[in-house]
Amino acid sequence: MTVTIAAAKAVNAEKDKDPALIRWLIFVRDRGIFVLWAVLLIAFSIWASPYFASLDNGILIANAAALTAIFAAGIAVGIICGALDLSIPGTAALAGCVCGWLITHGTPTGLAIVVALVLGGFVGLINGLISLRGFNPIIVTIGTLSVMSGAAAGIAGGYTISGLDSLVFMGTDRFAGLPAPVWITAALFALLTVFLTRTRDGIRMMAVGGNAEAVRRSGIHADRYKVLGFVISGFCAALGGLVTTALVTEANPAANVSIIFNALTAVALAGVSLAGGRGSLPRVLVGALILGTISNALTIKGVSPYWATATTGLLLLGSLAVEKWVSTTVSRRLVQHEVKR
Amino acid sequence: MTATALELSNIDMHYGYVRALDGIDIAVRQGEVLGLLGDNGAGKSTLLKVMSGAHQPTSGEIRVHGTAATFGSPADATHAGIQMVYQDLALVDAQDIATNLNLGREILRRGPLGWLGFVDHKAQRRRSAAELEKLGVRTAAVTRPVEMLSGGQRQVVALARGATRVNGEQSGILLLDEPTAALGYEQTQQVQSLIRRLADQGVACVLVTHNLPLAMAVCDRIAVLNRGRKVADIPAAETENDHLVGWITGARASMFAPAPEAAA
Repeated sequence: MTVTIAAAKAVNAEKDKDPALIRWLIFVRDRGIFVLWAVLLIAFSIWASPYFASLDNGILIANAAALTAIFAAGIAVGIICGALDLSIPGTAALAGCVCGWLITHGTPTGLAIVVALVLGGFVGLINGLISLRGFNPIIVTIGTLSVMSGAAAGIAGGYTISGLDSLVFMGTDRFAGLPAPVWITAALFALLTVFLTRTRDGIRMMAVGGNAEAVRRSGIHADRYKVLGFVISGFCAALGGLVTTALVTEANPAANVSIIFNALTAVALAGVSLAGGRGSLPRVLVGALILGTISNALTIKGVSPYWATATTGLLLLGSLAVEKWVSTTVSRRLVQHEVKR
Repeated sequence: MTATALELSNIDMHYGYVRALDGIDIAVRQGEVLGLLGDNGAGKSTLLKVMSGAHQPTSGEIRVHGTAATFGSPADATHAGIQMVYQDLALVDAQDIATNLNLGREILRRGPLGWLGFVDHKAQRRRSAAELEKLGVRTAAVTRPVEMLSGGQRQVVALARGATRVNGEQSGILLLDEPTAALGYEQTQQVQSLIRRLADQGVACVLVTHNLPLAMAVCDRIAVLNRGRKVADIPAAETENDHLVGWITGARASMFAPAPEAAA
């Protein structure tokens, strides 16, 4: 939730506070993943000493997690708003290829990037408008996934578009010591977090994901916010596609579907319910960072990367168990509380 | 007594050949709780939907605060000051109480941040706490997510959401569909006193329920529907359980029948 310092003060000002246990459980649910990450960092610092706990390695982890995090942001916004957007790899490939094609055909780099990002939003708009007609968003986005990757291959003529050196400023270049993807990810998450928790449209969007009927009965056009979720998701996908392209200075028309599973793991680890309406982006970012941290530490210790995948899976199952335990405990406590009164 | 808030006259509602409502005249005054009783299929819910704008009657007239009104949609009814609390509550579980109460009427921050659509969470929480205070309900901290509330507390929040929207400058009309269907005894008591308090603040309440003791306890007046017709409309103090059951089942003749045999 959106518990900030200001909110905490407001809570203190309340005369009736929640019982300590319930507040603690809410903390575990909302902030548990940060604690988990901290524990992992400390454990790995000791286990993989001295190589793990260095600033350079930290930057390495952040850079490795950046791409997953950008796609995870797209997935998370879609799910929070009530729809799993599977077209993300296709949109990413299309955005990369369109940008690459424009640059190789003499368009200024800046304009090419803007066109690719707008295109991503437009794909989201189409996804949203089709889904509003009552079709299942998963099937709709699988359809657009194929359309987009086909279109990307068509634009690129079936081959990768190489020599996109003018994009390195958002790929391998460093600013103030940090690689460009880290800056982009940080900016994206800051923007989306503020949007979802502080602005009227963001809050309504989350509410639509949670209970569209409640929003409709409040006299709000719920459908607009559903479409907005797809648009943001498409924008994130295009941004991720551009960063991917910039990292290798080549636009690859093949949609890489595995990015969905990485991103989805980060999202699920962050406790974003597939039912929609809940989740927070800072947690999604930490989810992506945890994935990066684990694979980084295991690589340092020379453990096979397969074990990183397996460990992540176990963590995911563990986080589900904690979530379940918290919600049952809270409901049991609440019933007792009610009876006592 | 005070002015009539909502008046329906000669309402007919046909679904194909089925007459769901047959010449219903019904009115509720400001500050009055009107109970709407009847067996399943008697037309209670249909009548409530006509009042809330979800259904358009085949014929008949609706007057809100004395002015004729046509409801093309629930939004029209909302605009006229009518709020409905649905049986399924329709709360956003993952959001806190304050957000739920403020949905659709958010307070924006002052200055440039407000122009960008930034919400003033602090002011919203303060307003929600004040509104709940005014209703005299104590649920939980307004920052508690709805999913961490018990069934009774959720019902109170849903009621409060409707109430805060009709309880503004001019007292509105609150329609309640089975507000205690899923609640235990104590929670029912809590909801019952909340409805009473709302009425005392001038809100006109229409309460559809199967719960006879609740209706007797909370309503000023009770109307009974039977197969689309109003068969009784009587102050709660002047009737008793047995009579109501008789009207509901049809065993007792309609109050409005010209002759006993017409009641069948």
